[in-house]
Amino acid sequence: MPPTPSMRRAFCAALFVSMAAPALAQAPVPAWAQGREGSGMAPNLAPHAPRLTVTPPDQVPVDKLRVPAGFKVELWAHGAPGARMMAVGDRGTVFVGSRVIGRVYAITDEGGQRRVRTIAQGLTQPNGIAFKDGALTVIAINRVLRWEGIEGKLDSPGAPVEMTAAFGLPTEEHHGWKFASFGPDGRLYTNVGVPCNVCEFDRDRFALLVSFNADGSGRRIEARGIRNSVGFDFHPVTRELWATNNGRDWAGNDVPEDTLHRVRRAGEDHGFPFCVGTWPDPAVPARACSEFEQPAAMLGPHTAALGMRFYRGNGFGAAYENQIFIARRGSWNRETKSGFDVVVAKLDAQGRVTAVEPFLTGFLDANAGTFHGRPVDLQQMPDGSLLVADEQMGAIYRISRQ
Amino acid sequence: MIVRDTLGAAALAAALLVPPPAAAADAARGASLAAPCAACHGADGNSTTPLVPSLAGQPPVFLTLQMVLFREGIRAVPAMNAAMEGITDRDVEDLAAHYAALPPHTDPPHADQPERDAAKAARGAALSVQHRCGVCHLPGYTGQNQMPRLAGQREDFLLHTMQDYQAQRRTGTDTTMNAALYGLSGQDLADLAHYLAIQR
Repeated sequence: MPPTPSMRRAFCAALFVSMAAPALAQAPVPAWAQGREGSGMAPNLAPHAPRLTVTPPDQVPVDKLRVPAGFKVELWAHGAPGARMMAVGDRGTVFVGSRVIGRVYAITDEGGQRRVRTIAQGLTQPNGIAFKDGALTVIAINRVLRWEGIEGKLDSPGAPVEMTAAFGLPTEEHHGWKFASFGPDGRLYTNVGVPCNVCEFDRDRFALLVSFNADGSGRRIEARGIRNSVGFDFHPVTRELWATNNGRDWAGNDVPEDTLHRVRRAGEDHGFPFCVGTWPDPAVPARACSEFEQPAAMLGPHTAALGMRFYRGNGFGAAYENQIFIARRGSWNRETKSGFDVVVAKLDAQGRVTAVEPFLTGFLDANAGTFHGRPVDLQQMPDGSLLVADEQMGAIYRISRQ
Repeated sequence: MIVRDTLGAAALAAALLVPPPAAAADAARGASLAAPCAACHGADGNSTTPLVPSLAGQPPVFLTLQMVLFREGIRAVPAMNAAMEGITDRDVEDLAAHYAALPPHTDPPHADQPERDAAKAARGAALSVQHRCGVCHLPGYTGQNQMPRLAGQREDFLLHTMQDYQAQRRTGTDTTMNAALYGLSGQDLADLAHYLAIQR
């Protein structure tokens, strides 16, 4: 397709160069047009439609899912449309956030059956879900809310404590949904995505992992140059922060890859928008990629690597102890679909990633180019089983040893 | 904050034990639910009400998603938030199937639509190519999945909707439309609305 005037404008602005249209080059480039030049990708790729109505259990294709020998996967809960990030309460309640549908769910086990309550509605993408000291913290795009003693009042949670101002997070909608987790230091960690595909931005405000005291004070940049992380966890032994990251769109079917990052020291620079590993992004000014921290592992192009959790203890056997389970929601910006699975990043004693292996598969029908679900997050339960949230089906699966 | 069961515990338990038959959306049932909608959206799903969209021939996924967003209060339109309050997912899906199956109007579109303006239409056509409207909404602007049919939609509603997206008063199920309209002038939006409204 020959470049249109708007495409050329985007290209110029992306290069930070004013050529034919200086006034336009000053303006932000539409997100859909940024960095699209030269990839040769089919222009008709578009995000997949979400499903926001209940998928009946007989339509949840759990029978198509595959796990390694010695494990089994079953449907644990359904009827939670848009289910995304999970946190487990002290009494075993599974709290589940969402994006488009704006709900927070609380799922409890009652006599071997799961009960799904909607405990909050009408929020703007309440994707950040964290639990500590009896309190549920929810981070939506424009709000930080906390329900104290939530597990004692699931039927009537009442109004939350409004903590939005204390945290002062950016409210940009594009890549503005948050992941949230309390660290072993008691601080609340979250991400701040970049409000574009690839662009110029304030590197102290966006493309960050940040942490706060529980009350929102004491903001600290944990890592910068991380484009859009929607999953992280802390190594059970070293307590180091590890995070997944989504690479940008429209650079090519196979570049850049999504990445896994190991944050050894607070404040490290992981390279966005300049580099993904050793790949310098041609849409921005050249910088030596050796200036930046290198990813711990590559997680595949456009796979949408989101929720990740270390498996704690030997409930899955020694081979999985302190290894990282990663949910890959699956690609839209790729002509051949990639992801749509859960993989395990295997770490050696030095914390080097030696392999990334499939663990839960069957969501993708590669021949037909269709998918049967989109795994987005994981949670280890007290009994050692592993829950997997499927956003497309509004379902939670449970993986356990046979 | 509203608290309620997505499914009652008893219903959930029953559902897990005895899976119901696969629920295919029921357009005939949807038609029986649509009477209250007709006053504004037209008896045949083609609106003659200013600033109220036609629903006939819209993709069922689009209709379903928008009804859910109204119900949940995510998309703020008071009349629709009230109309959708407490509606079940089954009713949403059946209503969507009903309206998706209705034929959109052919010429003449609506008695109160503005006169055709060849110059406006030509400018709108060029803008649509430049901004690639037909990539997601398809070359005939018939829509697909979460992306609505634009062809034959009311011109005033198209303009109003684009203004809302541009001013960040509305988002879709993602932020694509907010970004796609970035930098267009008021005249550009009016030209686009005119061009799309006269497509068949």
